[in-house]
Amino acid sequence: MDVVDQLGAVREGKLSRRKFTQGLLAAGVAMTTLPVSARRAAASGDEATFFTWGGYDIPELFKPYEAKNGALPNFSIFGGSEEALTKMRGGFVVDVSHPCNQALPRWVASGLFQPIDVTRLSNWSDVMPELVDLPGNAADGGNVWMAPFDWGQTSVTYRTDMFELEGEESWDMLWDKRYANRLGSLASGADAWWCGAIKAGVDFADIATDEAFEKIAAVMREQRPLIRTYTDDTTTLEQALSSGEMVAAMTWNSSATLLKSEGVPVKFAAPKEGALTWVCGVVIHKDAPNLDRAYDVIDSLLSVESGKFMINDYGYGHSNIKSFDEFDAATLQDLGLSKNPFEILEAGHFQQPQSQDWETRMNETFEQIKAGF
Amino acid sequence: MSPTLAIMTVGILVPFIILLVISFWTRDGFGFDTTFTTNNYVRAWSEPIFGALLQRSFWISGVATLVTVLLCYPMAYYVAFHVHRNKMMWIILMTLPFWTSYLLRVFAWKVILGYEGVINSGLMTVGLIDQPLEFLLYSQEAVIITLAHAWAAFAILPLYVSLEKIDKSLLEAATDLGDGPVARFFRITLPLSMPGVIAACFLIFIPTTGDYITPALLGGPDGAMIGNFIQLQFGRVNNWPMGATLSIVLMLWISLIALVFLFITRKAQEKIA
Repeated sequence: MDVVDQLGAVREGKLSRRKFTQGLLAAGVAMTTLPVSARRAAASGDEATFFTWGGYDIPELFKPYEAKNGALPNFSIFGGSEEALTKMRGGFVVDVSHPCNQALPRWVASGLFQPIDVTRLSNWSDVMPELVDLPGNAADGGNVWMAPFDWGQTSVTYRTDMFELEGEESWDMLWDKRYANRLGSLASGADAWWCGAIKAGVDFADIATDEAFEKIAAVMREQRPLIRTYTDDTTTLEQALSSGEMVAAMTWNSSATLLKSEGVPVKFAAPKEGALTWVCGVVIHKDAPNLDRAYDVIDSLLSVESGKFMINDYGYGHSNIKSFDEFDAATLQDLGLSKNPFEILEAGHFQQPQSQDWETRMNETFEQIKAGF
Repeated sequence: MSPTLAIMTVGILVPFIILLVISFWTRDGFGFDTTFTTNNYVRAWSEPIFGALLQRSFWISGVATLVTVLLCYPMAYYVAFHVHRNKMMWIILMTLPFWTSYLLRVFAWKVILGYEGVINSGLMTVGLIDQPLEFLLYSQEAVIITLAHAWAAFAILPLYVSLEKIDKSLLEAATDLGDGPVARFFRITLPLSMPGVIAACFLIFIPTTGDYITPALLGGPDGAMIGNFIQLQFGRVNNWPMGATLSIVLMLWISLIALVFLFITRKAQEKIA
């Protein structure tokens, strides 16, 4: 079937219904198959695939990788680590993925990952040992499953010009009825539920008790009518804060840093109850098809170059101690960071690993609350 | 076995049976407890959240279907009766926006309905409002508007085909016998184009009820539909059997509603005839 013929027929008004349907069919087939071939093309070559949160799929973090391999790794994005684990459990194979300390033991227990041979990483000697020494990781004297990469906080980013602060900065800001429908939240329970625990005054050591569940569920229900939208997409929150659609939202460090660099008057709150703190890192899939490149991905993320970008542009902590030498103490303090990560992590509420049952129950409860029940 | 049958078996029947079987299992940590149980169905029936989400989904997609058909009927009517040259060109032009990705169209609506979007900034420039209208985005209305636009092509085509098929001499006869344009439309054109209307309703109602991406991006907390909840079961909530059950329940409900709808229109048509 010739496209030009078809167009000619259309112009002369002679296109039969049959021909037209054929044309539609061809167009439909072409449209559905195009992305497939394009995806294959992108996945061709032997680049490693990095399965990560949105925002880490940028060239700035892979300069050493690109210098060595001449191309960027392939990226696949998830909205929350629970979603990522379910997807990989369903058979999605990647080279490297990006869990956080709280989820790590469950990720390791799934049997989907292989220990990291740290001798293959040129930057390993500069990695802060405190960040490696976490429950479920090397702390138990076992293997290193996760190479720590970034650490930071989940807190409230608010518009200093629009949010009228009453007293100290606090988690109450996200429960402030004056700003109903102008508050935002991350959708993933891995952040929101824990922040709810801080607001409800639940000690993280007791977070698995029934009583804690009830208390946290109660505050989440109270908050729900005030929330304009729950999203896993930080860009949505950043745009809403920038336009004034939202006056405060639960975010990670990066949103506040990015908005500030755009000149939006925002502040990343230091709530009086303490922020939520976490360490994330990278793990290697047990069936990683490009193992050598997987190590290149990790080495690239651990490099000082990437660390400098993480601290300067995203406001996150980095795991490479040398990255911090690029900044003076005042700048770091301004970003809410320190050369001693545990000074920051312990000052907040550090996430603790929970059982799979807890995780499932929490997600189930939280999704019901978000849906209005 | 003919190729058609083979494709149907591999592509539809086998996945459906898998879904059906899983729906009778139970989640067990990361695996499944494969003992047969109807617990999931009992839960789907007894817990109010599932019924409420189903109801909301049917409401949103029902309104969207109605709006789409009402908007598309005049367009199809115009092409069928008042365009005499290059009809196919007209149809192609009308459906042209739908050749772009569905996701892009949804995002486009996000831009249009957004806080600083086209509508809000337009109204504010004209001075009709001083504060952006918040209900435009993250609401059920936003989902309905977007669905009504995104599925228009599926209404225009069947409506056009059924209107095009109408024998023009019937209309002339009606006029000769004294019917005005309005009476003629309701007595001849509309009943004869009913097959197109019914097809359009089905083509829109069935897929939009389970729509996922539109409510996910534009619905906000109150605009979430059953499709979002099913996706969560297979994702974050990690309860595949429950997700399978909800999919089956949704399918059954849609079939039931479709049958009732078909029955009513049959009866109505018989009455007119």
